[in-house]
Amino acid sequence: MTATAAGVYGIVALFVLLILRIPVAFAMFFVGFIGIWVLNGLNAATSLLASEAFTLGSSPELVVIPLFILMGNIASATGMSRRLYDAAYAVIGSVKGGLASATVIGCGGFAALSGSSVASALTMGKVALGEMDRYNYDPRLSTGVVAAGGTLGILIPPSTGFVIYAILTEQSIGRLFLAGVFPGLLLLSLFVLAVTVLCYIRPEFGPPGPKTSLREKIAALSRAGPIVAIIVLTIGGIYGGLFSPVEAAAVGAGAVILIGLVTRTLAFGTLWEASKDSVVTTATVMLILIAAHLINPFLALSQIPSAVGEIVEAMNLSATSVLLLILLIYIVLGCFLEGFAMLVLTLPIFFPIILDLGIDPIWFGVLVVLSLEMGLISPPVGLNVFIVKSVAPHVSLGQIFSGVILFWVMMLVALLIIVAFPQIALFLPDTMIN
Amino acid sequence: MSQAWAVTPRSPRCRSNRVRQLRKVADRLIGLSAAIGSTGLIFAVIVILIDVVGRALGSPLYGGQDITMMTMIVLVFAPMALCDRLGGHIAVDLFEPYFPAAMNDVIDIIAALLGATIFAALAWATWDSAILSQMLNLSTNLLYLPKAWFQWAMIAFLMLAALALMLRAVELALSGRDIRKEPHP
Repeated sequence: MTATAAGVYGIVALFVLLILRIPVAFAMFFVGFIGIWVLNGLNAATSLLASEAFTLGSSPELVVIPLFILMGNIASATGMSRRLYDAAYAVIGSVKGGLASATVIGCGGFAALSGSSVASALTMGKVALGEMDRYNYDPRLSTGVVAAGGTLGILIPPSTGFVIYAILTEQSIGRLFLAGVFPGLLLLSLFVLAVTVLCYIRPEFGPPGPKTSLREKIAALSRAGPIVAIIVLTIGGIYGGLFSPVEAAAVGAGAVILIGLVTRTLAFGTLWEASKDSVVTTATVMLILIAAHLINPFLALSQIPSAVGEIVEAMNLSATSVLLLILLIYIVLGCFLEGFAMLVLTLPIFFPIILDLGIDPIWFGVLVVLSLEMGLISPPVGLNVFIVKSVAPHVSLGQIFSGVILFWVMMLVALLIIVAFPQIALFLPDTMIN
Repeated sequence: MSQAWAVTPRSPRCRSNRVRQLRKVADRLIGLSAAIGSTGLIFAVIVILIDVVGRALGSPLYGGQDITMMTMIVLVFAPMALCDRLGGHIAVDLFEPYFPAAMNDVIDIIAALLGATIFAALAWATWDSAILSQMLNLSTNLLYLPKAWFQWAMIAFLMLAALALMLRAVELALSGRDIRKEPHP
């Protein structure tokens, strides 16, 4: 059996195991271990198993994952998402579609505290859906905006999507975080624009909310002040070279804990639960990352990436065409595969091609993460849609899916804009100090 | 006949009682292990914060990175058992509704057994590595924390995860009870 044939069998076996609902990490461990055993012997497979588990498990850079997850969990538990939403609500809630726009802005703010889209959709759904129901918002708009707004969590830093991309492709986490800032703001603006235009064409979708006085606006904004300060401190700290991403994560987590304790919104029991949730999520992510470091050498040994590269070369396509083709594959795969698993499974094959074509890996990272975001609201397995459904059981899945179409199109527009203008992603990392 | 069943150690009722007792013990150990992981996370936040503040004041924490690295081992591997207990492993369940119920049950058992084997294999491979680390006195760069200590801890957490998955497979096979659908006490 040739190495490439072994690789093909391995990929087929992997997909069969995934279809059979074997957890992604277990399937990758199994195929990676057996594959290396077949191609390089049992000793090589066992050594890799031991060394990768300990090396990744003790990697000081990866502590950024549990720290940012903890920061998001505590921000959620202490009602910081509520304060962000209230601030946006006070400022723009009284215009047509204002509550939906406030939800998007609240999601964007929460995304800057949390690396998880699911957490963003869940917390903002609990906060904003009831309010939009109260003002007779069309359920398609109210649920669609929460599901789509929640996806900002993996684009606006800190983002677990970027951390995983960085680890798999050996890129700088700090540069990727900064690269996500402007694309995240662009997408947020497109979402707000879509809501505004929709509500001016169809006013019944989002009637204006109550007017707030200047004093109420100032009060709401000042309550959100400490949260904005944490966001500026963490992201600004990375940009200014004051902190590494790990330090920024610890400072952010420490700051939300401190604010929670000082304002008495965080009890020790809640802190304990948030910490437990964070380490459980970390275990999920880390096990897949360790498995990825077993399956990636197998794919490299099987020479599948170079074989795919040769096929692409033979097609004689331009770099942009290849990039668009890969993004299309991500968008299609996103309809069926969980985003994180998709990233881990496909990057070993696509990333060498991207490097060969001279495409900037940071820019590619932003585009890939944006494609993953689209998968979060694409039928039939759009995770955020199911999250919103759990918060709004009275709205049918069909209504939620029809509500997210507009935002999915906006994501596609954002993707194409960033493909056309790479500087949107690259400006901040290229001008970063250190 | 049924009375004989009740007193025979191999009777189904006796077996199910034993499995229930094992579950209680396992849940306590899983909770303890996760608590160690949670403490590790809070500890990591404190260590890095002390390092950052210390650096700003001109004296960073000596060996801060060593402590963070070894704390990572604890906070990553200690909650592995709880992660499975809560059904935290990501799986593609798109086709689940199309499979017959019996097939889904069998898949659940196979997945749990596969997971148990993987964790046991990881523990076994780390065991060899830990013996080597101990023999060569491998340690961290600044604080000379022995690497083997943390590898032994990692083995303990991995073995707990393996045993927890094995127990889950046994429960599924004997009574169809899927512990992931029940909250962790």
